[in-house]
Amino acid sequence: MSLSVRPVCVALLVLAAACDETPPTTAFPESLDAQLRRSIGQWSVAPIAPMPYQDPALIALGRALMFDKILSGNRDISCATCHEPALHATDGLPLAIGTGGTGTAAARTLGPGRSFVPRNAPSLLNSGIGLFYVFWDGRLSRFGPSPPEVNLPGGLNVIAAQAMMPVLNRREMRGEPGDLDVFANPNELAQFGDSQAAQIWQALMQRLLAIPEYVNLFNAAYRDLPQSSLTFAQAAQAIAAFQMAELMKTNSPFDRYLRRDDNALSVEEKRGGVLFFTRARCVSCHNGPFLGGQSFSNSGVPQLGPGVGQGAPLDLGRGALPNNQFYQFAFRVPPLRNVELTAPYFHDGTFSTLESVVAHYNDVPKSLRDFNPATLPAAFQSSYHGGQATIDSILRTLDFQLRTPLQLTETEQHELVAFLKSLTDPAARDLSYLVPASVPSGLPVR
Amino acid sequence: MSPSGLRAVCLAVPVFLVSAARAQLIPIKTIPIAQGDQFQVFPSNNLGLGGVSVALPDSLGDPFANPATMARLRASRFFSSPTIYSVSGNAGGGRSLPFAMLSRRANWYGGLALVLQQVDPSRPPHQGGGFIDLVQRPLPGGTTIPGPDLRAHGNQYAFGMVGRSWQSSNLSVGASALWTGLHALDGVDLLYSGSRRVEQTGHAIDLRVGALKQWPGEAGVRSLEAIVVHNRFAATHTVLYADQVWDPDLQQIVLEPRTEHNYDQTNTWGAQLKYQLPLATPGWSIGWLATVNRATHPKLPNYEISNVTVIPWDPGRTYAYDLGLGLSKVLGRATFGVDAIYEPIRSYTWADATTPRVTVDGDTIPLGGKTVENRFKFSNAVFRIGVGHDVDLEGTSKMLGFQFGLAVRSISYQLRQADHLEASLRELRTGWFEWTPSWGLTLRFPEFELRYRGRVTKGAGRPGTQSIGVVDGFALSSATILAAPSGPLNLIDVDTSTHQISLSLPLH
Repeated sequence: MSLSVRPVCVALLVLAAACDETPPTTAFPESLDAQLRRSIGQWSVAPIAPMPYQDPALIALGRALMFDKILSGNRDISCATCHEPALHATDGLPLAIGTGGTGTAAARTLGPGRSFVPRNAPSLLNSGIGLFYVFWDGRLSRFGPSPPEVNLPGGLNVIAAQAMMPVLNRREMRGEPGDLDVFANPNELAQFGDSQAAQIWQALMQRLLAIPEYVNLFNAAYRDLPQSSLTFAQAAQAIAAFQMAELMKTNSPFDRYLRRDDNALSVEEKRGGVLFFTRARCVSCHNGPFLGGQSFSNSGVPQLGPGVGQGAPLDLGRGALPNNQFYQFAFRVPPLRNVELTAPYFHDGTFSTLESVVAHYNDVPKSLRDFNPATLPAAFQSSYHGGQATIDSILRTLDFQLRTPLQLTETEQHELVAFLKSLTDPAARDLSYLVPASVPSGLPVR
Repeated sequence: MSPSGLRAVCLAVPVFLVSAARAQLIPIKTIPIAQGDQFQVFPSNNLGLGGVSVALPDSLGDPFANPATMARLRASRFFSSPTIYSVSGNAGGGRSLPFAMLSRRANWYGGLALVLQQVDPSRPPHQGGGFIDLVQRPLPGGTTIPGPDLRAHGNQYAFGMVGRSWQSSNLSVGASALWTGLHALDGVDLLYSGSRRVEQTGHAIDLRVGALKQWPGEAGVRSLEAIVVHNRFAATHTVLYADQVWDPDLQQIVLEPRTEHNYDQTNTWGAQLKYQLPLATPGWSIGWLATVNRATHPKLPNYEISNVTVIPWDPGRTYAYDLGLGLSKVLGRATFGVDAIYEPIRSYTWADATTPRVTVDGDTIPLGGKTVENRFKFSNAVFRIGVGHDVDLEGTSKMLGFQFGLAVRSISYQLRQADHLEASLRELRTGWFEWTPSWGLTLRFPEFELRYRGRVTKGAGRPGTQSIGVVDGFALSSATILAAPSGPLNLIDVDTSTHQISLSLPLH
């Protein structure tokens, strides 16, 4: 065989030249999962580990106390009245209706001469998660001192400390001087002054320990503590134990997604998630492991209800607390797990659906100005404060992130709602099994 | 390559690859990741010549690639070729110590080789480890989550071959088997973004049957080589993550261990024909080769790239081809060789639905249906050139040889990804070059030969880290890797340097 070298060299050069073609690199869009995980990763969002073990005896005591109206001055309202398990540990009303009211849930009505509790009853779902702030104005926190109106005993976690407080509040549970309880007996708790918290708690313990079944429950829960040493703090700790054991619902599809299950969310939910963590700016407040609960924001919410403190009939929120004027109309950013189940929304329940909440955030100034009180239940419409001066005051301190419209399309708003619904733990949908058939006092449970 | 935020498609299919077998198993990769020379364990004479091989036989390396070519060996020999490689920026490295004996008796020949190897953990360049020490959630028994594994791990290789020649027909036939026990593949620990440690166990088996037919002529010897290869690779990656979770008891974010078991399996069948013939011009030879590979990937690891879980357990298949042309000149003490190889490759992978999935259009993809399909079209090319010269050392019977070479690999591909869940179609075209200058020095004594070969590969990188200590990206081992497209990938330039000293002793 005979071949010339030259043509072979030419062929090699041609081949080499062909190797020199480099295609341009074109952009390759990220997958939805890549976008979502990358955007989540910047906001300290984390799944929730299991709750610590709670003593069953403590849970049993807490459950009894939670549903027993004996904790109210007039023996007509329990914690569960406003935190009804069938309504996902809230009451479904824009503003809570405290002692003196009748009926349950949406059918609950004010008693004669009573007024609404100024704020919405927040759901107790996941209240044991380790919240930084409790109450809409955050006056109780893990870090700060006791709220100004009460001197709480030391050594309580924030959720037990919270359980000490509604029994002191006249509108919520204690009642007004001169009230008679459901048996037409004088309401001894209402006789105390508003600064006599210790005496009120002591009187409550006298009520409880007069009932043999409560004595047994306390003895079982606090085996090493003599009865004479029991205080209402132990009762509050039992209520907290019940909340931590039974009302923690953190296995939502989104939590499973956080635990690396890409199949846990649908495409629509993932798209909504990307919006939540990016363009819709929700995450600027709803961040951290609870998707909220760590800060305060003036979200331009319409004003409703009797108002709080010196600002009444308006509710200045955290801005009404001493040294917090900066937070005019700012309220705690709520954690968002199970938000689908806890309507109505905001501190005064002015928006009844997630769709309406998202639409509000899409253009807050417009939503506030155009708010239609007819969307509220009839009993609440007259307590709407929609004057121009009020609206201007709210907008003056509106969160700067909300001053410009988000310009989300209807599809995007729909996706955002789908994402919010993915924060629901299926186990939270029906909590009616938590309601006991009876309570030690013999008072009706509902 | 700068950290340019290259939109990298993180599919990469580097087939299990022993250096001497490089011509039969076609490597594939989809991102410019630096690969350690972990499988450069057997000696190669042409390593300093850029690795030219199409028209220039490699007297040391060929028997390990095609056992039939051992027929060219004139006498029995003992080899050892200690090899070290390192990735710059303290990003990884390894050491290999092989012992090999090739023996010939009449028409029969055979060989055995054992290799011990130690591979350092891969690290992002210039990074120490990058984990934040958060509080750990208490574990049963008071144990704690182990930190990054900074130990080197060992691999073992056992190679055997046997063959026979028929002098009358100038035909040789041989078969070889290589078993590899794997505990460390370079770069695998970087494949799992954010992982604490990756424990690897696995093995690879490489079986070859080859034939060599030679036709002596006036101008030289024509030869035809044929080889069939079957390669099975199976590895398990036990990946430990330290996930951040909120602990309601401690009321803070803590670390919680999570262990994943990922299986990496690829089976490859390959065949190659290589033909060499002398040209009329004295000393010149020309050669061509044609190779075909079919690889199936029954199980693929669940890699995490940029903190993204990619397509889990996606199988796939790959068809890879190469066509090469080579030219060489061996005249007197001078050697010259050049190769040009074109490698078209088609790869198809997909993701199985592990549960029925609803698409954005409202349709349902049933269990086992395809949620994502990736179709890759590669158009790669390799160009190698090398020169060498031997000189007698005056007054002695010793000889000194020099080699210089350059290999350039051009990688370009197109990806079309159909995501049936999102009802989207994405497309990518990209490419890059990798440059590998090489050099060699040979000392021939009457009693033995001592060779030094070195090379350094430039043009590739290794993943850096994001802030907060999360590995951003993807590295590539020499195992089969198929993953899904991810987001931006930042690579930090690294060089891979390899140094091999081979000793060849004739056995009398």
